[in-house]
Amino acid sequence: MRIETLWLGRGGQGIVTATYIIANAAVMDGFYAIANPEFGAERRGAPVKAFLTIDKNPIEDLEPIKTPDAVIIFDDKLIDSMRFAIDAVKPGGYVIVNSAKQPEEVRKIVGRNDVYIVVVDAVGIAMKHVGLPVPNGPLAGAFSKVMGFPRLESIKTAFENQLGKAVEENFAATKEAYEVAVVLKPEKVDTSAKPKGVISTTSAFLTGPYELVGWQQVNKGGAVGPGSSLQYLTGGWRIEKPIIDHSKCIMCRKCWLYCPDDAIIEAWREAPGPRGRVFRTKVIDFDYQYCKGCGICAEVCPTGAIQMVREI
Amino acid sequence: MTAQALVPREKKIAQKRIALTGNHAVALAVKMCRPDVIAAYPITPQTPVVEKLAEYVNNGELDAEYIPVESEHSAMSAVIGASAMGARTFTETSSQGLMHMYENLPIAVGLRLPIVMGVAARTISAPINVWGDYSDVMTMRELGWIIYIVQNAQEAFDTIIQAYRVAEDQRVHLPAVVAYDGFWTSHVLQPLDVPEDEEDVIRFSPITRSWVKLDVDKPLQLGAVGTPEWYWEIRWQAVEALRESLKVIEEIDREFDKWFGRSYGLFDTYRLEDAELAIVTYGSIYGLVKKVVNRLREEGVKAGALRLRVIRPWPGDKLRKALDNIEKVFVIDRAINHGGPLIGPMATEVAATLQRPVYNALATIGMRAIDSDMIYEAAVKVAKGLWAPNQTYTIGLRGGYE
Repeated sequence: MRIETLWLGRGGQGIVTATYIIANAAVMDGFYAIANPEFGAERRGAPVKAFLTIDKNPIEDLEPIKTPDAVIIFDDKLIDSMRFAIDAVKPGGYVIVNSAKQPEEVRKIVGRNDVYIVVVDAVGIAMKHVGLPVPNGPLAGAFSKVMGFPRLESIKTAFENQLGKAVEENFAATKEAYEVAVVLKPEKVDTSAKPKGVISTTSAFLTGPYELVGWQQVNKGGAVGPGSSLQYLTGGWRIEKPIIDHSKCIMCRKCWLYCPDDAIIEAWREAPGPRGRVFRTKVIDFDYQYCKGCGICAEVCPTGAIQMVREI
Repeated sequence: MTAQALVPREKKIAQKRIALTGNHAVALAVKMCRPDVIAAYPITPQTPVVEKLAEYVNNGELDAEYIPVESEHSAMSAVIGASAMGARTFTETSSQGLMHMYENLPIAVGLRLPIVMGVAARTISAPINVWGDYSDVMTMRELGWIIYIVQNAQEAFDTIIQAYRVAEDQRVHLPAVVAYDGFWTSHVLQPLDVPEDEEDVIRFSPITRSWVKLDVDKPLQLGAVGTPEWYWEIRWQAVEALRESLKVIEEIDREFDKWFGRSYGLFDTYRLEDAELAIVTYGSIYGLVKKVVNRLREEGVKAGALRLRVIRPWPGDKLRKALDNIEKVFVIDRAINHGGPLIGPMATEVAATLQRPVYNALATIGMRAIDSDMIYEAAVKVAKGLWAPNQTYTIGLRGGYE
């Protein structure tokens, strides 16, 4: 028995911690486990991947996992950009998704009928028990449910070893997810079929959608030209997005001043006046392609016009 | 971006003979190359270079920004910053100073900045020793800098001028270091020829500013993160540029000959054509080695000598050609390759180049005095078969392997 899993999420969601906890618990249950995360100087919100392999026998090869038995996705907005990872899941494998959407809708987004699809609102559960939008504890619970290991008690001990704090709260979240996670069985499984793709061994997807060129074409001295960040859409990093109530906005532009991503824009809006005339007025809007959902704008807004609403 | 097309002169430029110490010869060459920014911290035995340059700037003889930094780490940081702005820069150090600068040395390579640095080569602590050997320079071999090791004040003067041309060449754009013996060259007064008209130096080595630099009119970011999918490719350009620079170094050395009447090649050979024993070394002791070769020849031993001058990039093919037919290659190293396959760093590289065992001895460590008799005795032992290849020998170490 050898189970290879890939955990995909964003910096700050506890992806690496989740693999450490599951590996820790699996070892307690008598397995050999290796959690080998792959990350660098990622910021909060940037895509991160981590590998976790569990085996009955000792593991020596820290090989990147190319066709996983299970993929655990911490953010349903990652499904589209990380489709290659979903395509690489072995037929009969598992795709575990954190999503508040209806399970059938998630199945449609995932777009595979030969794998188990597991849906759990991990952020909702985490908010309820821990008070933070960190979906790792609940996803560990969902993992335990469908795999049959590690045991919940081992996960609790792993929380104690790994976190050393808020153990009860995190474990409560794990337990609830274990109970409520929805498992959709595959329509048909052809275990002899090969996965549609393999996960590339480059970590290219971590930083951007650019073309990887040979050393002759790379800029001399690693110089980076202006405007390169425009190509890097960071809007998908959000868990919550800001919305604005224009009737409360006094156009003080404090949000614009504080936005770290230049994602607050001024737009023209046409609104009918009291006697039917149409007025064009300037209003505050958001550039959702680059808004990382940090919530600073809502925090600094003096009139409470900006609200953060959950997106995943 | 000015092209580096230069019209070879029909007549060599007018020169006058003066006497200077190695350090002051370097300072004079730097002054004639008109750097925009000099940053350095005085450390023995390099101090006179820095003092002289400070004097030139103070007297108005050199229109440069002189930055008296508080350490070598800052000296290299300052010249990296200035070079990234397109300035021609210079710094100088040695020994512990170079060690302190170490963190910044590969940055100059990765950013492809044509910084020129002098090193009055000297050993490293502990015990504290301010005297000369090549322990400091040898540590730089893996970083991507062009490394010259010169023999005397004249060559130090000439090589600084050549180094600016090589470093700033469009095909290269790499930092270069010119190393010379601490004290034995740095503080020894020697005659040398310098151009009468200083403008000739800048005419030979004009400031191109052709490297990648920060410019408000053409905005760029230098020194960004190189994630795993980019670092190797960017670094490989520096690897290839260093390989390419071998050709450029030779080309510019030949052109220097046309202007100044002196050239040095990638390495220097002496009576090597029909030799059966070749003594390979570097730096100022080459003169002693040549004397030993003459003495051995008089006694019927077919000896020759070779002085390594450009050790990065390593001129492997040419060295192989020069040494392949020589039975016994005896490398006198001036730095310790602690625990290495051979006890000296250059012997290791020569052996790897020739793909056969070489004779190896250490000398001048911590500036232990050496004379031609000592080298003669060692060479005789090699010639008579008393010393074996691939073994550790020393010249001048009390109780050492002899």
